[in-house]
Amino acid sequence: MKTTYKFLIGGLIIFAVLAAISFQGIQEMTVFFHTPAEILKTPDEFQDKTIRIGALVQAGSVKWDAKTLELSFNVTEDSQQFIPVSYQGVKPDMFREGQGVVVEGKMQGEIFQAQQLLVKHSEEYKIESKEHQDKKEYYKTLSDS
Amino acid sequence: MRENKKETPLMMRWTKILEPISIISLLGCGIWIFMGTPIETEMGFSQKIMYLHVPTVIVTYLAFFVVFAFSIAYLWKRDMMFDQVAKSSAEVGLIFCGLVLVTGAIWGKPTWGTYWVWDARLTTTLLLFLIFAGYFLLRAFATDREREARLASVLGIIGFLDIPIIHKSVEWWRTLHQPTTLLKVNEAGEAKPAMPMDLLLPLLVTMLAMLLFYGYLLFLRIQMEERYHVLQETIVKKEGA
Repeated sequence: MKTTYKFLIGGLIIFAVLAAISFQGIQEMTVFFHTPAEILKTPDEFQDKTIRIGALVQAGSVKWDAKTLELSFNVTEDSQQFIPVSYQGVKPDMFREGQGVVVEGKMQGEIFQAQQLLVKHSEEYKIESKEHQDKKEYYKTLSDS
Repeated sequence: MRENKKETPLMMRWTKILEPISIISLLGCGIWIFMGTPIETEMGFSQKIMYLHVPTVIVTYLAFFVVFAFSIAYLWKRDMMFDQVAKSSAEVGLIFCGLVLVTGAIWGKPTWGTYWVWDARLTTTLLLFLIFAGYFLLRAFATDREREARLASVLGIIGFLDIPIIHKSVEWWRTLHQPTTLLKVNEAGEAKPAMPMDLLLPLLVTMLAMLLFYGYLLFLRIQMEERYHVLQETIVKKEGA
């Protein structure tokens, strides 16, 4: 009987810890990123904390210096409220104006200093450009680069 | 012990038919994908891995659905044959689930810029893999066969419930992974794939070929399982005599 209780209590403790960890994990997981509107609403709450912002790259806001690897752009949802982002590192191939991105980093004052830049891709697939239609030529450009 | 022997020749015939058909059609799809299908505009060449990633997802879903259905059937009828099917399908499903994670990571690097993120879609998929890895640990530790089948059936049913969560994760939560393409609901409220026919058709055909391949692997694995138990019974009988 005593061992049963021991197992029961031990089991309950393990279960409680797991539940607490997973509850935290789920909260973090479900809010994978914040939107610019959420951050601009209560900017003080997000200061100097590592967070992710998910939004679109505002058209006309991208500045890229290939020599110093400095990239800056605004992220926005409605192109009215936006947050300026500064990032140093390689610009991803899929990075474009109007593209969905997720940036990880810290709000420092008005500017978001990003440590990681992830590009979202849309669920819509397209075949538009005619230049890639000639597959032989296209595959050649791949092996060259 | 049971009359499995009657069913075996039929299954063997199906395995023999499915083996060449599935392998040749998969090879054919591979050639078609690289030589025939157009290059997608946004992602370019890396989009080709979609033809492997999406069919493996479909097979994973189906394989674990088979585990779910046959686990319920086992708990209801207590026929070992059902447990053998569930076990075989779980094994194939686990391998395909691993492939989903690997192909997803390979695709993630060029498009997102990372192999892995802890977003809801990826995390719940990893959870599915871990649940069914645990399913085999559970089977390995169980000593008697009835008990093994009973416990595994319960875990198989619970484990499957992760799949609707995986499927809905991109709608319920904010994720890096994009929402569904094949069942995308347009403005008119009807589900229509957000993909031109030139990309969709090869995807659907590859999916079909992959499903045939799953059928082949499943039938082969069930036969192995049957033979293993027939052999064990024979050994037990001989030792007893």
